[in-house]
Amino acid sequence: MNYGPLLFLAAFFALAGSWFGFVLTPQAQIGQLQPTNMLGAPTLYPQARPGLARQGLGVYRANGCADCHTQQLRQRGTLCDVVLSDTGTNIPAVITALLKVKPGLSGPAARQWLSVLPRPVLQGLTPAEADAAVRVLNGAGAKATVSIVPVGPDLARGWGKRRTVARDFLFDYPVALGSQRIGPDLANVGARQPDAGWHLRHLYAPRLEVKVSAMPPHRFLFEKRKIERSPSPDAMVLPRDLAPPPGYEIVPKPEAGALVAYLLSLRADAPLFEAPLTVIPAPGAAGATNAPAASGATSTNAAPTKAPAK
Amino acid sequence: MNPTASSEPAAAAGLGADEVGASEMDVSCRLPLLVLLTSAAAWLVIASGFALISSLKFHSPDFLAGPAWLTYGRVHPAASSAFLYGFCLQSGLGVSLWLLARLGRTGLAEGWLVTVGAMFWNVGVTVGVLGVLAGERTGFEALELPGYATPMVFVGYLLIGVGGALTFHQRREPRLYVSQWFLFAALFWFPWIYSTAQLLLVTFPVRGVMQSVVAWWYADNLRFVWLWLAGLGAVFYLVPKLTRRELQNRNLALFAFWLILLFGSWGGIPNSAPVPAWMPALSAVGTVLTTVALLAVGLSVWKTAPPGSPAGPVTKWPFGVRRQSDLSAVASAKAEAATALSAARGVQEAKRCPSQSGVAPARRSAPARRRAPLATALQSGARENLPLRFVRFGVLAFLVAGFMRVLGSSLPVSNVTDLTWFGPATDQLNAYGFFAMVVFGAAYGILPQLMGLEFPWPRLARAHFWLASLGVVLLAAPLAIAGVLEGLELRSPDNAFMDVVKATLPCLRLSTMGDLLMALGHVAFLANLAGLAARFYLARAASVFSSLTLDLYKQTGAKP
Amino acid sequence: MPPETAEPGAGNMPVPVWLMVLFFVLLYGGMVFFDRYGGWFDAEVYMPYASLADVQACQPHGGGPSAERGRAVYENICGLCHNSDGKGRPGQAPPFVGSEWVTGSPNLMIRIPLSGLSGPVRVDGTEWNLSMPAMGAALPDDDLAGVLTYIRQSWGNKASAVTPEQVKAVRAELGARSQPWTAEQLKALP
Repeated sequence: MNYGPLLFLAAFFALAGSWFGFVLTPQAQIGQLQPTNMLGAPTLYPQARPGLARQGLGVYRANGCADCHTQQLRQRGTLCDVVLSDTGTNIPAVITALLKVKPGLSGPAARQWLSVLPRPVLQGLTPAEADAAVRVLNGAGAKATVSIVPVGPDLARGWGKRRTVARDFLFDYPVALGSQRIGPDLANVGARQPDAGWHLRHLYAPRLEVKVSAMPPHRFLFEKRKIERSPSPDAMVLPRDLAPPPGYEIVPKPEAGALVAYLLSLRADAPLFEAPLTVIPAPGAAGATNAPAASGATSTNAAPTKAPAK
Repeated sequence: MNPTASSEPAAAAGLGADEVGASEMDVSCRLPLLVLLTSAAAWLVIASGFALISSLKFHSPDFLAGPAWLTYGRVHPAASSAFLYGFCLQSGLGVSLWLLARLGRTGLAEGWLVTVGAMFWNVGVTVGVLGVLAGERTGFEALELPGYATPMVFVGYLLIGVGGALTFHQRREPRLYVSQWFLFAALFWFPWIYSTAQLLLVTFPVRGVMQSVVAWWYADNLRFVWLWLAGLGAVFYLVPKLTRRELQNRNLALFAFWLILLFGSWGGIPNSAPVPAWMPALSAVGTVLTTVALLAVGLSVWKTAPPGSPAGPVTKWPFGVRRQSDLSAVASAKAEAATALSAARGVQEAKRCPSQSGVAPARRSAPARRRAPLATALQSGARENLPLRFVRFGVLAFLVAGFMRVLGSSLPVSNVTDLTWFGPATDQLNAYGFFAMVVFGAAYGILPQLMGLEFPWPRLARAHFWLASLGVVLLAAPLAIAGVLEGLELRSPDNAFMDVVKATLPCLRLSTMGDLLMALGHVAFLANLAGLAARFYLARAASVFSSLTLDLYKQTGAKP
Repeated sequence: MPPETAEPGAGNMPVPVWLMVLFFVLLYGGMVFFDRYGGWFDAEVYMPYASLADVQACQPHGGGPSAERGRAVYENICGLCHNSDGKGRPGQAPPFVGSEWVTGSPNLMIRIPLSGLSGPVRVDGTEWNLSMPAMGAALPDDDLAGVLTYIRQSWGNKASAVTPEQVKAVRAELGARSQPWTAEQLKALP
């Protein structure tokens, strides 16, 4: 019997299953993803990156930064904190409630706690436990909220506040997730290291900024040129062994500027439905942290300043 | 086509009429296979060079850091693209085509089409690799060749694939051997995944993280499923053939085939991915199910040819070729005849008495007389059998790499090993340890048969085996260990990231040494292939020249 | 390769049983794994969350109703019949979009989930005659206020928010009323 066509058909359907399940279905599900409201704020997330940052993504791609740096944060779990923000009018009842939810606490300690608010009174609970505690505290007239805290080794390392999700990369081409961490993760580097000068120095000579870095120097992103009438404001300030000969200066090329703009625009900490987290606004300054509620524009940065800090 | 008669008159005199079928088949494969395998070997050397450069940059980041085209982020994808597209796909296609022809008992259909396709392919990959060095890489891991190189590569593939499909279609043997299933599936899976990836990533890019999903799907299907299909197709032919035993058994092999198609093609989406949870979960389930396929293949090879077992008896070939002793005489006669006229006059005795080994005419026939060790090895038994050694190593590497892939996708292990050196270690062990070794074994086995000549430097071939096997072990094992250690350390935020990375350097040093050894082995391979091709064409040129001068002598009536 | 040997043949024995058993064991294990970690194909469930309910439970809340909490409650409770887009389902639940019962006084709206509604009712020109159970009776004041606010301010509805105090007051007024409302009774209210 001629098995040829039968073999072809069976293999076709077997492999078509893979194409159907991993190309077609995901495309139907997340292929038309749209920006969405951030939690607790009317602003849309994500915003498209400004033009210079988008060019920077091209430089990032061309020089293979994704070969050593990832932009994916993992999350191992979610814990709830109970934050007391107001005591209301019935202090004794609140103290009783506080002692009920936190048995190990003593009376004087509880009173002292109530003097400095807002304060997380319970940490590391499951959502159900946190809800019960909030109900008890609210019943005494106080104002308590549940704060959602994502946890995981990547997050504990300070690389981010929550895991990365599909919406974080909605407008990027190509999406540079990376597959290996030879250098630190960059998903939130714009929040962690907002200094453009640091990035430029790091690109020119990585071991200037990180002593044990294995990153190759990207000197081709800079050019050495003769100083005209006066030095350029963009000129790099380098130590003696790396500095150019007198009469010359090292200036970043447009590619370097674009790449740094892209790096500064990398932030993935907006609270979303699929990756909830409670953003704690810093006392006073609205834009000091990543709090997106104040102004949506802080989600992605505008063009960086190229002036060196020192 | 009967070029044996036209270009080697003396050799043709030694062949019987019933051998025409066999040699016709081999002759039809000769040029396409030579082009595919030699260019694959050349790309392998190029890729090894780039890989060595990028590996050295870890130990000395300032190494070649000046020019933009030599930065790690460009040299690394150049190496991987040259390896995947230049070596793996070309050599895999070459071996597949030869196997399809052999198992179908037919010649390679439209061999010229395959040769032209190989040329297109090489041009496309060259343009692509140069584009990657120029900074035009696409950014998607296994698909780095820029968009403008794709049409040539695709056209090249179509031409080669059409040759393969026609060969399969015109087969004279109606029953299908196991290898043909694997190879045929491989032949049509590649254009499917490649065109999907190109369309959805480069031509009409999909939105957001969907790009990564398609890229992971493509990379996994190319680096694992395709290499497995092509490699296992060769393994299931070579192991029984080289040990002259029967394959144990057909059902195990087909079981593995269906499992790889159904579940192996699900892999690729890592657990760390920023995609909804069902994608990595389903991927992990599919990958874990391939454990059964791995066991089936291992069991099959083990049962067919347990290590240390003697080779089976020599049986008559279906095409009814003469026995071993005649063939070695024919081989030596070919060598002698090709060089006899150009070496000296008065060697007509040697021409007319091919089976006598008495007269020692020219210095060139000494290698054929001495019967180079490789030839002896091929004809004697399993122990000295160099191609079999390569294939056995390949199967072992296949099992180890397959289990590493299974472990690396299971949730508890991937929480530690994701985004570390463990993934590259698995990829490299699979590609270099399994696929490349099987291709080397196939090349060392097939080419002497095709060309009718032995490899010029058999000792170099044996050195290649040791360099390659030691190199692969030195490359993959330290990387895997480094990955696991790295992952374990990074679980605790108290370990500074840069310290953990620095601690992997000793392992990287070992793997660079492995890179170096493998590069040397690949150079040896290319040297042997190029030497064989040169020898063949020189011999042919010489015999053409000699037949022309013989005619001239005959016409002028002068005594030679 | 010695050409004088035959092309390899293949034995025809069946696949060993233990291999098939292993396959089915792994398949079962895979299904169990996917059940726990797969999020059942939901596009908004990412690892480590096990299901959509898990994600909803982890939304920031407390200290008063929030739009997200209201939405979460809606999806879990009201949306099952009234649909996620508030357009209702014929034969099952009337729409909220453009409904005068929704955008009118909060008094009416709070009472319906607390005690239920049955009998004929006219919504946006269409007659409905179904029976709604007291879906909101078990909800805490915050959540009920939040979900009512969400309904009153979504899909183009523009009405005032409902506060937990209002809900508390109505609840106290109703006491232990278990009888579902009818449209006439509700219209008779101030």
